[in-house]
Amino acid sequence: MDPVVVVHGGAWAIPESMAERSVLGVQEAAKAAWRVLETGGNSIDAVEAAITVLEDDPVFDSGTGAVLTMDGTVELDAIIMEGNSLGAGSVACVERIKNPIQLARKVMEQADHVMLVGKGANMFAEECGIPQVPMEQLVTPEAIESWEFFKKYRCTVQTLFSNRVEELPGSEFVNGHETVGCVVMDKTGLLTAGTSTGGITAKRVGRVGDSPLIGCGAYADNASAAVSCTGHGESISKVCLASLVTEKCRLGIHPNKAIRESLSYMNKRVGGAGGAICIDNKGNIGIGFNTERMAWASKTNVESVYGLDAGERIVF
Amino acid sequence: MICAIPVVNYKLLYVRIILVLIKMKTKLALIVHGGAGTVAQSRHPQKLAGVQQALRAGYEVLKATNNPVDAVEASIKVMELDEAFNAGYGSMLTCNGEVEMDAILIRGSDLKAGAVGAMKNVAHPISVCKAIMEKTPHVLLVGDGAEQFAKEHGFPVTVTTSEQLTAPRARNLLERVLAKQTVASTEASDSSHDDAPKSLSKGEGGTVGAVAINTFGEIAAGTSTGGIAAKLPGRVGDTPIIGGGTFCDDAICGAGATGLGEAIMRTCVCSRIANALEKGEEPNQACLSALEFMTSRIPEGDGGAIVLTKDGEVGFNFNSNQMSWAYIKQDENVIHYGIEKGDDFTVPYSDS
Repeated sequence: MDPVVVVHGGAWAIPESMAERSVLGVQEAAKAAWRVLETGGNSIDAVEAAITVLEDDPVFDSGTGAVLTMDGTVELDAIIMEGNSLGAGSVACVERIKNPIQLARKVMEQADHVMLVGKGANMFAEECGIPQVPMEQLVTPEAIESWEFFKKYRCTVQTLFSNRVEELPGSEFVNGHETVGCVVMDKTGLLTAGTSTGGITAKRVGRVGDSPLIGCGAYADNASAAVSCTGHGESISKVCLASLVTEKCRLGIHPNKAIRESLSYMNKRVGGAGGAICIDNKGNIGIGFNTERMAWASKTNVESVYGLDAGERIVF
Repeated sequence: MICAIPVVNYKLLYVRIILVLIKMKTKLALIVHGGAGTVAQSRHPQKLAGVQQALRAGYEVLKATNNPVDAVEASIKVMELDEAFNAGYGSMLTCNGEVEMDAILIRGSDLKAGAVGAMKNVAHPISVCKAIMEKTPHVLLVGDGAEQFAKEHGFPVTVTTSEQLTAPRARNLLERVLAKQTVASTEASDSSHDDAPKSLSKGEGGTVGAVAINTFGEIAAGTSTGGIAAKLPGRVGDTPIIGGGTFCDDAICGAGATGLGEAIMRTCVCSRIANALEKGEEPNQACLSALEFMTSRIPEGDGGAIVLTKDGEVGFNFNSNQMSWAYIKQDENVIHYGIEKGDDFTVPYSDS
């Protein structure tokens, strides 16, 4: 099979101030995944490498640069899944881990379990040698700014509204959906999907969105497809978005159409918006979003392309 | 003095009655399960009694209120109190000897859900799920954050609750698992120290679940569990993952699964049940298809599932050795229950 790499840096109304860095970031991640494939790595290695790049890039809401919880802390979620034996590793609400995708891979390969959360996940990190870093190392000035803006607004409106702060003007800056993700097919046809996030600004401590949930934020099955999703976490969880897309691919629907139909259904049924990337088991690529923008990049033997606005395809 | 004489607007009343009648499209139905696995014969009586008791509690609420969410909560609360089941009191313990619970409640009309993962120190995780669903824009809360939420919303949360949640049987089981691990590791045999938890996860199971449908075709589904014996702290299974251990959508069905959580998650069992129903499979077969798919891809995983379709049809199946279950349909007014393959015991339902 010809190898395929697709990466996304989040589906939301990415402001101009972040657009340039976002598209550069996803291109770097795609190149990192490709290099791993060229030097003999498999799709699991490639997904881990791409997402590590995105987690280390402060422009994205994952790892370094993640948004803050209500208490001003950083809580991270990540998942990785391979489509051969349906192996999966997922972590949620881990603290002080620079690259949660690496911890998720350890869970997949070394734990009897699939999902570990909170303190238990941190204990496992220690046991399997994933280093922990001071929380401050993951916090960026932008994250603090968003957090302070949100808390100010929330305090003001709390007495007047229920917590529908998401609907307030200007809230897109604090409620950006910059979850990152990657799907890869390597030359053996092994499909792998991964997703990583810091969640939503000022989220309640312990809140878990769609990202680390199998079938919601990501899914991979060599019988159908590998998918990574981004967008409004609760909406994605309610409709099991990744499962929807993979099931359509399994029935022979082209990944682009599978994503379009699934996002449309989600919007109609529960009102949320988002995006997804997908590779089916024939190597077809799917990219789609019904938010204003999604930073994405793909790489194959034929071409390397990235985009931001709807319909955009720029060769790099 | 002007007196307000009540005038009945018969036309409006008539229209409203017609609208309610049009909305009524299904009969009430409720199904519960008490876990799929290998259940020792000596435990059958308490499992069978437990699922019947849970069914009655839920059905009373369903008849009185026509509210499937409250009915599911009522059934599951009974099982969370019952030592016979691996939920709430009676939960399996982590390898550190603590109770950490997962649970979920989903409403099929708007797909709203509330779920908790690895939550400690609360007696009724299912009720915390209902509060998350009804009072927050979120779906899943885990660990300390879930416990904090429960405290803020008036649920009793204390360390003594955790001790109260620990059943003697669960503690004995954990000690046996850990002893087996110690023995295995000192014997340097082929079996890795991981053998013990795996074999016990093919033990009794005991996750509990319930699905209810009201007369408007509105469905609710819920699941609650203590997880597998000697699990790592922080381990979350299939239960609180929509599409994995639980699923609910008025347009298709409400479903709940039980068995090896990791296998159910990796194969999204309840999503598969929904897909099978949409393809026209009948309910019992839809459950079996999903379970057989799971076991075909992940041989060490088996389990069971329950389902209510959007038309109020009942289905359940299991490819484990046993699964305790009970259901009732309004038009029959008979409680069906069982635990072994092929069981279909019945007892007439009468209001208490």
